[in-house]
Amino acid sequence: MKIFFSVLGTRYSSPLGFTVSEPKLTEKLTLALPKGRVMGESLELLRRAGMNLSSSENGRTLKYDAGDALLIEMRNSDVPTYVELGVADAGIVGKDVLLEMSSNIYEPVDLGIAKCRLSLIRPVGESHVIRRVASKYPNITLDYLHGIGSSADVIKLSGNVELACLTGLADAVVDVVETGSTLKANRLEEVAVITESSARFVVNRAALKLKAGKLRPLIETLRELVKT
Amino acid sequence: MTTRITPPDGTRFTLPEEAISKTEVIAKLRQLYHTWGYKLVDVPALEKYDPNHPRAHQSFKFADQDGSVLALRSDFTPALSQLIRANYPDDVPLRLQYCGDVWQGTKPDFNATREFTQIGLELVGVSNARADAELIHLARESLRTVGLNPRVELGNPSFVKTLFDLAEIEETEREKIADAIDRKDQRTLQSLLEPLNLAKDLHHALLNVSDLYGDIHILKEAHSLAPWPETTRELKRLDEIISEFEDSSELLLDLGMARRLSYYTGVTFRAYTFDFGQPLIGGGRYDGALLPFAAGFSLGLERLMRALPKTQSATSTLVLSLEDAPARLLRKAGYSVERTLMTDLDEARLYAQQKGIAFLLTERGLEPLVRNHPLYTELLLALGEGHA
Repeated sequence: MKIFFSVLGTRYSSPLGFTVSEPKLTEKLTLALPKGRVMGESLELLRRAGMNLSSSENGRTLKYDAGDALLIEMRNSDVPTYVELGVADAGIVGKDVLLEMSSNIYEPVDLGIAKCRLSLIRPVGESHVIRRVASKYPNITLDYLHGIGSSADVIKLSGNVELACLTGLADAVVDVVETGSTLKANRLEEVAVITESSARFVVNRAALKLKAGKLRPLIETLRELVKT
Repeated sequence: MTTRITPPDGTRFTLPEEAISKTEVIAKLRQLYHTWGYKLVDVPALEKYDPNHPRAHQSFKFADQDGSVLALRSDFTPALSQLIRANYPDDVPLRLQYCGDVWQGTKPDFNATREFTQIGLELVGVSNARADAELIHLARESLRTVGLNPRVELGNPSFVKTLFDLAEIEETEREKIADAIDRKDQRTLQSLLEPLNLAKDLHHALLNVSDLYGDIHILKEAHSLAPWPETTRELKRLDEIISEFEDSSELLLDLGMARRLSYYTGVTFRAYTFDFGQPLIGGGRYDGALLPFAAGFSLGLERLMRALPKTQSATSTLVLSLEDAPARLLRKAGYSVERTLMTDLDEARLYAQQKGIAFLLTERGLEPLVRNHPLYTELLLALGEGHA
């Protein structure tokens, strides 16, 4: 004999007095996008993937209906939090941020934009033992230092990390390198590449399953786009 | 000035509004499990520290008076398995339910309070699809009981594990690959698999297993991606569970679930609800991990409370009483009656109004302080006055 299960679409009036609402399957996706240069490239990719997205009217709106999706703009390091907690269904964020934060989210597409590397940087020619490293990425830095057997201290800074090296605050820094021109101008050099990074399309764990009808085709199209 | 002492990180106070609805939710869930024959048990919050405990690294530890190490309960299942071995060694099937606090020393952040209430079930001594389906059904019913619209997602970590075995992947490599599969991170997966020079079909299967999610039709895709007898056996276990359901259209599958590969030995499942981004229930079958045959699930009360629609629960007292005898009648009928500590009637009335108390009970009888209160007639009846 089989167990009886209620049929899809039935409304439950619960003993606690709440009425169960039916899922709104036509609802738009909410996407968390990082402010700045990556924003433009991300929007362009999403449009090429077939999404009809307008730009925000005055550039100051933090949250707006862009047509095929609701867009929310934020600092890149906040994207994983919004996506993990499901306030955004999906988003775009650099692998560097994901490695630093180890969020519990899916990252199904490497979008191949915002490419950079995370490197250990020192003043040109210096080679004494590193005792202190400054970085915006303290977790990645600690992992790397442990991996090479270094017991240097790590201090977290929020911006212009190179300054730590120039002022003697730290012997080395771990930071993002794109072209290397900032390094050259400040007589700094990349000593080791820790990891490569690029922007990823990230998805909330529940949303991927409950809004699969919208997210799955989008993921597939994005993967096709970046392949070519 | 007094110093304000706050509770330790990851713990917090529960105020009446929340405490009331939390108790209601617990009562509903316990009742549901009771109607399915699950017996309530309790286990100590203090445990002897065991380095082999599945959450040993996360538990709070301290020294007992004799110097041995104690740990705070960080999970119910290990303690329950001790209870079962000691008291019901041959009593199968055994259905138990539990509810209580656990303490886990994870880093306190938005996701990890270090003290929280868990409620859950264990179905012990039987390992078959009927038992698994019962638990999955009860996971759905748990969310329905509290007014949420559930979707349960099934996985089978042994499917990924079997692929690892077939591809003869070294133990040291497995954790990284499983993590990339679980995150559906194909780029990392590619870079991890490439240097292994696997047979083409196994490489293809491992690279694409994380895309095997969706409704139950995904099983067919899984069969064609992994046609080996060993993987077919793992898919068949899911198929058998699904065929226990009269209506399987709401069931979701994800064969890329690859967490705790050495703990779970059969189906694992998670329950979600719409518009809430995190799983509310997690469970699965862990034959051999702590008991020969066992499966169960647990639900974190605090997270569940966050997923519930915000309702205004009545926390204020209903009646402020200046008279003890009629108050006794109302209390007997189950109404909440506060005994005034003031002697002045006007003062008492003012106090009641400030506290949102709806009625005043004086020697002249019941005086409503708000108009058209729905309970007015009921209260009069309880006082033996209402025939209006």
